[in-house]
Amino acid sequence: MRIFDAHRVLGPVPGDHVPSADVAGLLAELDHLGTDGAAVTPSHGLYGDPAHEHGAGPGSVPGHERLVPVPVILPAVPGAGWPDGPGAVVDAAPAMVRACPVRHRFALTGPVALRWWHELAVAAIPLALDASETGLDRVGALAAAVPELRILVLSPGYRCLRELAELLDAHPGIHVETGTLAAAGAVEWLARRSGAHRLVFGTGAPVWDDAGPRFQLDHLRLPAADVELIAAGSFEALRAGGRR
Amino acid sequence: MSPVIDAHGHVGGWADFFVPEPGAAWLVDVNTEIGIDVVGVSHLVAVGRDPAAGNELALAEAERHPGRIGVWLVADPYRPDAAALLREQLDRPGVWGLKLHPDTHECAVIDPRYEPLLELAAAAGVPVLSHGQTRSPYSDPGDLAELARRHPAVPVLVGHAGLWQDGFDRAARLSAAQPNLYLEICGSRLTTRWLERLVAVAGADRVLFGTDACFLDPRLGLGKVRFARLSDEDRALVLGGNAARLLGRRLILASQETP
Repeated sequence: MRIFDAHRVLGPVPGDHVPSADVAGLLAELDHLGTDGAAVTPSHGLYGDPAHEHGAGPGSVPGHERLVPVPVILPAVPGAGWPDGPGAVVDAAPAMVRACPVRHRFALTGPVALRWWHELAVAAIPLALDASETGLDRVGALAAAVPELRILVLSPGYRCLRELAELLDAHPGIHVETGTLAAAGAVEWLARRSGAHRLVFGTGAPVWDDAGPRFQLDHLRLPAADVELIAAGSFEALRAGGRR
Repeated sequence: MSPVIDAHGHVGGWADFFVPEPGAAWLVDVNTEIGIDVVGVSHLVAVGRDPAAGNELALAEAERHPGRIGVWLVADPYRPDAAALLREQLDRPGVWGLKLHPDTHECAVIDPRYEPLLELAAAAGVPVLSHGQTRSPYSDPGDLAELARRHPAVPVLVGHAGLWQDGFDRAARLSAAQPNLYLEICGSRLTTRWLERLVAVAGADRVLFGTDACFLDPRLGLGKVRFARLSDEDRALVLGGNAARLLGRRLILASQETP
């Protein structure tokens, strides 16, 4: 079974000394857990200002064949964001992009950002949003405004299952990362209710734990086909624009 | 082979959020599948609103699942006859010790109202597991260390090792400095990296495996210890050796029962 972690951070993070500060360290962590590959967001995009600390372009995160870059973009008025416009993102064609509306202080459903999201939706580029930062209400508002946009909800935590289930019911474009769905039986409950194709294995490591979710993946009480979807298939479909 | 003992579990529903699998039967089934021999639980009715009634619910689960469910009796700092009630319940099969929830009960762990309950634990020779939360006015690990100093015969377990990552190092140093202060590791913020650091600072003989089931899925907690870069000896201590030593004759394992 292929196992792909759809939520990893590459680079130094505040408040800790982490092995995934560089590519070699991150790959060693994946090897230790038996994880085949990962979608990685550069920490400078999360903890810095993407307008000043980006690489050469939205597809240029330091790479490796096992790593899929997920650049942080910042849709804002000209001169205050990165890249200059959604066209640059579409041209770079990353597998997924991430945005931090609270951390980077932009309006997720303001007129500027909405134009970006519409263009990303047309190009079938999914957007990852950290629920612990953004809040599920904002995610729902965006999904309602741009229903064609595919959204991966990162780090929802274990306390909001009711809201998550409703969000998945209401918005077919929304997917949820499993790593922090930590309440007893939460992954199985959401998979049976909303479908395993809506759940994406991801951990948020090194900020969040990776070992527990990885161990859990081997012990989920779900049909093998559902586990395979969660482990890698759902993310593959997400990045392919929903074609399964 | 050393038993795998989950030192921190719960059963029951909780008002603040939805738990899909709050029951003991699910917990025992999953534990059997993944290799957890026994879990010590406090019932969430006891934690949340009615310690006396909730403790009876937990005792009933221990009776239904002998050797698979142990009981931490929730100590009520408000009820004047709490110690008398608990004294009787401490003799029931499967009881491990006392559980303090200073934050939920809004009573600091060093408040005098907890003293008779700690004296009871000392007299009965049972450990005390407390919720532990760095910077909490009720359960900061520094206050739990003070509790351990006041009651040197009582093993005091710092639940969640203090919960927050920025407090783990301090909690480990407090444990290293106080022989009867132990770190129980359940919680969503702990990573294998931090577990390895806790063991390095406090010592493998001072760290106990816990999952916080059913708030948290036991598979997540066990995975952290299974994947942690620990020696086999240290891992065995964390997973169950330390708990077995602290619980002594109170530990009943279904796997050790003769047919």
